[in-house]
Amino acid sequence: MGRKILIIDDEDDIREVASLSLETVAGWEVIKASSGAQGVSRAAEQRPDAILLDVMMPGMDGPATFRELRKNPATAAIPVLLLTAKVQGTDQRRFADLGVEAVLFKPFDPLTLPTQISRALGWK
Amino acid sequence: MGNQDQSASQADAAISMALDTLWARHRSQIIERVVVLEAAASAVTANNLSASDREAAQAAAHKLAGTLGMFNLMRGTVVARELEQIYSRESAPPAAAGQRLASTAAELRTMIENRKSSS
Repeated sequence: MGRKILIIDDEDDIREVASLSLETVAGWEVIKASSGAQGVSRAAEQRPDAILLDVMMPGMDGPATFRELRKNPATAAIPVLLLTAKVQGTDQRRFADLGVEAVLFKPFDPLTLPTQISRALGWK
Repeated sequence: MGNQDQSASQADAAISMALDTLWARHRSQIIERVVVLEAAASAVTANNLSASDREAAQAAAHKLAGTLGMFNLMRGTVVARELEQIYSRESAPPAAAGQRLASTAAELRTMIENRKSSS
């Protein structure tokens, strides 16, 4: 089934590899944003099926962006998956406590990223 | 080979080729992150690593840790994570650690410069 995913990440290389993966492997539509503020605005305009959200970004970081998305009725119900290179248990618990659907880890395998997302969201 | 296997294999080949293109496009930015780590190691040896140098080194190592494995450089991710942990401590590493930090940064540079095409 075709899906529309919003990737919010300040790093060009991560955005491009994630986009390549979701478009080429899964055939999904991808929208990209390079900052939390841009992501919040794109999410409200485009209403994606899910959002892949980086944690460490300058300005509005991932958790702050997530809170903004949840505040807006237009984006409050969109599933959010955090994407992080932090592997320590304390960070993982802190992220899970935010209320996101799942936490995915960098580096991801471009060949299996769509499967990880589908599995986390219970998509067939 | 079944149709499903064939399309999986085609996706695999397409991803490998596209990753090589992205690697070529982002390689200089990735090397710049190593340059930050090399400068930090020199500053550690000279015992003059500032708080902002340490934060820059931590951020550079964090980004490398998140990026290198996507390009089939998993060892690079492991090494970058070690550096991220070292530079995330509140105090600067002792001058005696400078040489090891420099050789770790050099190891990262070698891996990046020698990355082979994945296709």
